[in-house]
Parts: sequence; structure tokens; C-alpha cells
Amino acid sequence: MKPDSPSIISQRTRRREFLKQVAAFVGSTALLAELPWWSSLRAAPVSDAPSNRVRIGLVGVGSRGNLHISHLLRTPGVEIAALCDDYEPHLNAGLARVKGAKGFSEFRKMLEMPNLDGVLIALPLNLHSQFTLDAMSAGKHVYCEKSLAYTIEQCQAVANAYRGSKKVFQVGHQRLYSPSYLHAYELVKKGAIGDIKQIRAYWHRNGNWRNPVPSPELEHRLNWRLYRAYSCGLMTELASHHMQVANWFLGEHPLSVVGYGSINYWKDGRELYDNVNVVYKYAGGVHVIFDSLISNRFYGMEVQMMGPKGTIESETGRMFSETPPPAPGIVQLINGIERGVFETIPIGGPSWVPDLKKNTKAAYFPQEPNHDDGTGLALAAFANAIRLNEPIPGMMEQACHSGVAVLMGQMAMEQGREVTWPEDFKI
Amino acid sequence: MKDVLISGRRIAQELGIFFGCFVVALGLNIYSIIKFKTQWSELLTTLHITLAVAIVIFVLLAILRFLLGGVARMFRRKTS
Repeated sequence: MKPDSPSIISQRTRRREFLKQVAAFVGSTALLAELPWWSSLRAAPVSDAPSNRVRIGLVGVGSRGNLHISHLLRTPGVEIAALCDDYEPHLNAGLARVKGAKGFSEFRKMLEMPNLDGVLIALPLNLHSQFTLDAMSAGKHVYCEKSLAYTIEQCQAVANAYRGSKKVFQVGHQRLYSPSYLHAYELVKKGAIGDIKQIRAYWHRNGNWRNPVPSPELEHRLNWRLYRAYSCGLMTELASHHMQVANWFLGEHPLSVVGYGSINYWKDGRELYDNVNVVYKYAGGVHVIFDSLISNRFYGMEVQMMGPKGTIESETGRMFSETPPPAPGIVQLINGIERGVFETIPIGGPSWVPDLKKNTKAAYFPQEPNHDDGTGLALAAFANAIRLNEPIPGMMEQACHSGVAVLMGQMAMEQGREVTWPEDFKI
Repeated sequence: MKDVLISGRRIAQELGIFFGCFVVALGLNIYSIIKFKTQWSELLTTLHITLAVAIVIFVLLAILRFLLGGVARMFRRKTS
């Protein structure tokens, strides 16, 4: 392995210090009872000595794969030993970034590589389950990008294979390691908003979601998110994150789902919806509403958890109380004088007050410096779990609950019916 | 250009008036704390608002004094 650049070494040193703080935090709190998937982070980061290194092979060196490379290069005690992609330009670009990594165009060849501890799968959805099963069969630990699999049967197959494997499995739901979500979860558990009665989640963009394609025969390969043979589009690529959060916070999977989807703007030959609207039913009459469209980005992306005492917006990291503390007395006095001077007295007109959005002041969550959206910590947790040789508790449940839920949503929209949770599904 | 001289006595007088304005603003704050049943700690935490209210009162008073002074000067000129 060639020496890393000074920039990488400095980033890794910062990450090492951060992981030390995380290890101290995890060890000193009752966190693991609620968030068992943090367990491997209790181990302090190791030195970069070759004997300490966890050797990872990354398959799929596209946009997400490249982001993983950036994180893995910064993670102490991790070596990217191999890269695999059957699209040569992506593979070559990846190899140029990772000094000393071995390149493969065939996954099975990469699995035969000696001393490879784990694989990271960042491939189109339709390949997730097969690559995961192959890696598990080869005795490798697996980090698979979300969503878990292309069909419910494939989700079940992965869960079955994992049950007897004693290997580490992690799914790419980085919000499980996000400080903002951790804070939100703490607030919910403390009862700050009361019991969650509804979750409204949305992900809006304004763009065609296409990658540039050098020649037409590569269209499906590079823009797989738009075609049904490879993906379930907005549901598996975006909603899966929010459904994972909903399942986690509600502590259960949905019972059923209804929804509509269509292509109403990007009529460019794509097969998957450019807007989706689904409603999930949970026990106790709680509903999770998800909508996504890619022709308007005004509202962006958010997960709003609503209870009788308040609302949490976990992506932005803030809470709005239903009964905010009153303004200081002097401010109330000034506002009263101002109203008396400037406010007009309505004569006639509606006698009711419109239920417009209240301009409640938000209480923002504390900011965590040196932290990303959770991906860095998720990868550190994966590497630590391999080093400790202990599976990550609760991870397969998170993967299956979210993976199956989004597939149910896609089926509900495509088949125009209510789809219920598969009763025989076993984790 | 003519130099404008402000006497020490005038400065002391203006400071005294501003102090009076601040006392009035503080009184308003105490009144609003009692009226709206808010916390007494607001006397400290809203000190910046009290100061702003004092400045507003001082400016309004200065305009009033300027106008009254002008009228008084005009009246004195007519009678002399």
C-alpha cells in the first residue's frame, strides 16, 4: 500500500479524534439500550498499523461509491483493498483516487481476493440481494447501500442468509448515525412532543435526475434509477430513508399502504414515476405520509414528526412547541401599542380566524462540528464491527422494515390497491 | 464654518434627561412584567429592549422640546 497524501492523513487524524469522543460518549450513556446498532462504536479507534487494518472491497464506483471512498479514506484502521466495477471509466477513476487498491471488473474475482474482510455494495437496486448473498456465501461482512432489495422475496432471502451467518451486515441508512436524528429521538423519548400521531415526510427536487450518458447504449446502465428493471425510483432511492426513520421512531413496521404515482412532468422516456404520494397505516391509527416530486424543490426535504405537544423537523434539526413560552412582557406591551396604532378594525367579513401556519419560533438542536449526515460514522461502525467480529444488533430489522415498506408503496401505486405487510415475512 | 459649542452644563442636562427616559422605560418594563405575569428576570434579559425604548422616548422628547423651544422663541421675538 502506498503512503497516503498529507491531506488524507490530516482528515484521518481529525476523524480519529472524533471517534475517540464518540467511543467515550457511547460507553458512558445508556444509549445502547435504545440504539443497539451503535454498539461497535464503543471501541476506540485503532492505529493504522497493517495488523489493525480492516480490508474493504467496494463494488460500484459511481456517485455513491465515490462518496464512500472519501469516507473510507478518512476512517482510521480501514484500507480500501479493492474496487470493482464493470464500467471501466468509473473503475479507472476510482483506482486513481485509491492508491494501491486492486481493480476488478468481476465481483466473484474480487471475492476470491485473500484477506478481504468485507465488501461495500453501492450498486443499482436490482443487484443488491444477489451481491449480498454472494458475499455472505464467500464469508465476507457486508455493507449494502439502501434499499435492501428489489423484491420482498429478495429481502426475505437476505434476512434468511444473515440469520445463520454470524457475519456483520449493515445497510446504508446513515440517519441511524446522524446526530440530528439522535437528538430528535431523545426528544421523542422524553415526551417533548407527546406520542407521535403523524409523520409527514417529503423529498422534493427540481431536476431530471439523469446522469450524462456518453453513448445511447449506456442509458439504462448509467440512469438505472429511471427504469423499472433496475429500481423502484423515488420509493427505493429516496423514500426508503424516510421510511426507515418512521419505522425506527414508531418502533414498528407499517401495516398497509395506499398511494398514487405518475409521470406528469419528465416525459422523457423514463419508466418510473416522477412524483409519488403514499400513505402508510401503522398500529393505533398513526399514519406516515410521504410525497416526492422532482419538478418543484420549494419545500426541499424534511421529516416532520407531529405530536400533541409539538413538531420535530429532524432534517433541519429543530422543534416547534404547540405552546411556546410567551414573549417577554415589554415585547407584549410594545406589540399591543403597535396593534392599537396600526391595526385596522374589520367591519363585517369572516368571523373566524384562518388556520394559517403559526409563526412559532423554532428551538434548534445543538450543532455537531466535524460531523456529516451519519455516513462517516456508519462506515466507522461497520469497520469496528468487523474488527470486533460481532454483528450489528438491530440492523437487519431496520433494513427489512424499510426495504419491504417502500416495495409495498411501489406495489400500491402500480396496482392501484391497498397493500398489506406480508404476514409470513420473518427476520 | 461656525463651531458649535455645547456647554458642560448642557451635556449634564441631556444626560439627566436620558437617565429620566431610562427610568421611565424601566418602569414600563416593570409594569408589563406585572401586567403580563412574566418573569422578573426579564428586567435583566430584556435590558437591551429597555435601552431601545429609552432612546425612543428621548428622541420623541427631543423633537417635542425642539418644537416647543421654537414656538417659545417666536413668541418672545413678537413680544420684544
